[in-house]
Amino acid sequence: MRSEMSKYEANEEKELRPHSYDGILEFDKRLPNWWLFTLYATVIFSVGYWAYYHWTGHMEDGWVRVKSELEAVRLAALSQGAPPDDQQLWNFSRDAKIVSAGEKTFRATCAACHGENLQGGIGPNLTDGQWIHGGRPMDLFHTVVNGVAEKGMPTWGPVLGQQRIAEVVAFIISKNPTMEKPPGGGDVVQ
Amino acid sequence: MSGSQSEGKVRVEYNDTVVRWFLLATVFWGLVGMLAGVVIAGQLAFYQLNFDTSWLTFGRLRPLHTNAAIFAFVGNMIFAGVYYSTQRLVRTRLASDFLSWVHFWGWQAIIVAAAITLPLGLTRGKEYAELIWPINIAVVVIWVVFAVNFFWTLAIRNEKSLYVAIWFYIATIVTVAMLYVGNHLQIPTSLVHSYPLFAGVQDALVQWWYGHNAVAFFLTTPILGIMYYFVPKAAERPVYSYRLSVVHFWSLVFIYIWAGPHHLLNTALPEWLQTLGMVFSLMLWAPSWGGMLNGLLTLRGAWHKLRTDPVLKFFAAGVTFYGMATFEGPLLAIRSVNAVSHYTDWTIGHVHSGTLGWNSFMAAGMIYWLVPRLWGTKLWSPRLADIHFWIGMVGILLYIAAMWVSGITQGLMLNAVTKDGVLAHPNFLDAVTTTWAMLVMRLIGGAIFFSGFVLLGYNVYRTIRSGKPVTASVEVGVRERMKPEGMGLWRAFWNAPVIYSFLIILFGTLWGLGKGAVSTVSFVLLVETALVAMIHMSVSGAKWSEWYERLLQSWIPFSVLTFVAVVIGGAIQILPLVFMDQTVKEDGGWQRVYTPLELAGREVYISEGCYVCHSQMIRPFVGEVLRYGGSGRLAHSIYDRPFQWGSKRTGPDLQRVGGKYPNLWHFQHMMNPRTTSPGSTMPNYPWLFEERADWEGLAKKIEVQRKLGVPFPNYTQEEILARCLEQGRKITEDLAKSGIEIEPDRKIIALIAYLQQLGQYEEKPVGKEVGMGIVGEAGVRSGVLEPKSEGELGRK
Repeated sequence: MRSEMSKYEANEEKELRPHSYDGILEFDKRLPNWWLFTLYATVIFSVGYWAYYHWTGHMEDGWVRVKSELEAVRLAALSQGAPPDDQQLWNFSRDAKIVSAGEKTFRATCAACHGENLQGGIGPNLTDGQWIHGGRPMDLFHTVVNGVAEKGMPTWGPVLGQQRIAEVVAFIISKNPTMEKPPGGGDVVQ
Repeated sequence: MSGSQSEGKVRVEYNDTVVRWFLLATVFWGLVGMLAGVVIAGQLAFYQLNFDTSWLTFGRLRPLHTNAAIFAFVGNMIFAGVYYSTQRLVRTRLASDFLSWVHFWGWQAIIVAAAITLPLGLTRGKEYAELIWPINIAVVVIWVVFAVNFFWTLAIRNEKSLYVAIWFYIATIVTVAMLYVGNHLQIPTSLVHSYPLFAGVQDALVQWWYGHNAVAFFLTTPILGIMYYFVPKAAERPVYSYRLSVVHFWSLVFIYIWAGPHHLLNTALPEWLQTLGMVFSLMLWAPSWGGMLNGLLTLRGAWHKLRTDPVLKFFAAGVTFYGMATFEGPLLAIRSVNAVSHYTDWTIGHVHSGTLGWNSFMAAGMIYWLVPRLWGTKLWSPRLADIHFWIGMVGILLYIAAMWVSGITQGLMLNAVTKDGVLAHPNFLDAVTTTWAMLVMRLIGGAIFFSGFVLLGYNVYRTIRSGKPVTASVEVGVRERMKPEGMGLWRAFWNAPVIYSFLIILFGTLWGLGKGAVSTVSFVLLVETALVAMIHMSVSGAKWSEWYERLLQSWIPFSVLTFVAVVIGGAIQILPLVFMDQTVKEDGGWQRVYTPLELAGREVYISEGCYVCHSQMIRPFVGEVLRYGGSGRLAHSIYDRPFQWGSKRTGPDLQRVGGKYPNLWHFQHMMNPRTTSPGSTMPNYPWLFEERADWEGLAKKIEVQRKLGVPFPNYTQEEILARCLEQGRKITEDLAKSGIEIEPDRKIIALIAYLQQLGQYEEKPVGKEVGMGIVGEAGVRSGVLEPKSEGELGRK
């Protein structure tokens, strides 16, 4: 066996393990550093990924996630000029992200007349179920877009754009106890 | 060697005859499997190649190709390589000639049985586990024969210590046995049909625990073992690093098992399992590359031989492809990458960089090295082998490149949503026609690769004719023949490295899956144990390696430890799903129990292999929900035995296809898909209009399903037939309005009944007994409504 080994350089010989299997010898070289780094890095990443997404519950169920993604796509489509409909606006009102965006716009633009809590002031109350210009989601939408000149409601369409108006309407619907059911009164979907 | 002071010598003759037979079988089935691959690649590009003939249709031949390539070609290669190298590595003859022959002929008989039953449409409907139950039993028996023969050989070995190749062989034998039995738990309903014990998500998880690890422990570990024997032999160089062998062996076998759920990313599988599947796939990267490094760096100092030696060329390229495939694998297991790659040709390309690049090239290297030695001659034409190498290389590259291009194109096109919030490519066929040229290129690449293997066949034939079988032998000292001393089970387990590993796995599991204080405390203990273990190892590393060397002299403890390592991952993933509470509210609707006719139709669907091209699992992506409707949930497939989520979309998803088209559409589509879907590459199914559906067998099938907890009514045979007739007539009467005359008992009618109920869910499950625990952590979900209207958007 020694003679087999002599084929290798002297410094390599020290690293050879003292055993041959059917003539096969083995070095016992150190693990390459970059390889070890890859191993440790993937382990550490995995622990961190798990901790972030699973342990702390950041991983949203796909079923839930896709719904809000879908609403986001719809919303973006509005800015491209596609008109919304009753069902869609109502769907938006069940989406927390859209509602909170709508709330921001409302506070900045509408609260001065309709009140911080939609209780009314200069403009009418928006939570009492009384709708002067129609109470379907699209009625609300048109009222905001076109305004009601004779009553002092400005035309918001060119100012806010369809998307932000849809958000505001979603916010108003979400705050409205009389609009907990989807339009048409029937089952939403299913 | 310790036996140098032996009194006498004994000559041990190796059993190379059985190796020769396995080797010839490898070449033969390699040709068959690859030819089948070329044929079905042709069918995907040119549907006419299905010849309107049931047993020549893609859905039936594709399982034939995969089974032939994996179990016949690579299977025989493994047995040839394992038997040849093991005898030499432990310096003894195979324990039993009888078992060796039973193994050889038994395996070939299984292959022949598979080659007959699959084209006949007799299938279990689970990928790489299609063979029907009588053949499953034969596989288990023959695998046990192999195991007994192998371990018995280890028991009578004349070499104290086990070489790294043997470790990989041990891991292969125990793990494949575990996986195969686990994924083939089933109850027969007839001689050729059975239902899996598990349904829906459970079946999906068990299937991919098996499916992924068939790749791991059938296509990878045994070939790594073969690499560890044949590469240093051919290169005449020492293996690069023993300690790398140790580290990558144990990390590979432990981690691999956990990675199965990456085949189910973004499906209804509970999120925690998906996340486990992803992170363990990432952690698999380094252990896999450990094998590649040890293979490639063993060639250091022998690189110049690559120019002249085709064997080394094949080995070097094979190991390189292994490295590439095992880099691509973790990449594809990342959720967001998988969102694009899954269900597309990219996955097909990935698999073939492994099977063509790694398996076939390693097989070619091994064959070219072995044949001259087994027949006592020289390779007839190294030049021809060289040509084979380059032809094969061109073939693989064409194949993989084509699949990358088409896979990424499909993924991007089918998921694309425009700014207007609608699908960029509402017609699924857009993606089919766009990538069609790539399918042709794949066909060309595959055909070129196949022709390379034909050259191998010819070279082998000429080489064998120029020599004659020789039997090698080895002289061993009488003293060496004594039983090698080893270590008892107690000593093997009650040892620092094992105890630390066990504690780290235990605390890691409790941290990851536990809740609240248990989890926090476990995390602290996990970090602490890891630190203590590291300190302990740096202090007494020598003692640990001494322990390991002793372990290598004891095949039973070594095998038991290997088994423990591979059992853990599956147990932690599968058992929670099996024992979970079964009655949880789901808000996406519940699957309803099939009517008898729909069940008969489902059997047609499975038998024709529809699942190889159509998924039934809509993923939670905007593009998919717009195209197909609300995403798939656990409760949608609670009665599905086997589950039919699928893994590839050559055609569109069918989870909610029911009610989308009229009966007439399905009727015409199955007769000739191009009448309803111009540009479709789907085969015609004329025989479904001639053959009768199996109504008589339904009684037994329903009885077995009732036993498994599916709330079927307690039908009598007459009731079943009456209901089939009633529902069948409704469909035929509907078709008659368009002037179509057909008997209600035809397969097509049952299939239409099945397809039309897909996606027709109920708001509440029938009865209390659902028959399975469908609930993971993700089972508890907030109330969100079903976006059915979205589905309709995609249906225009």
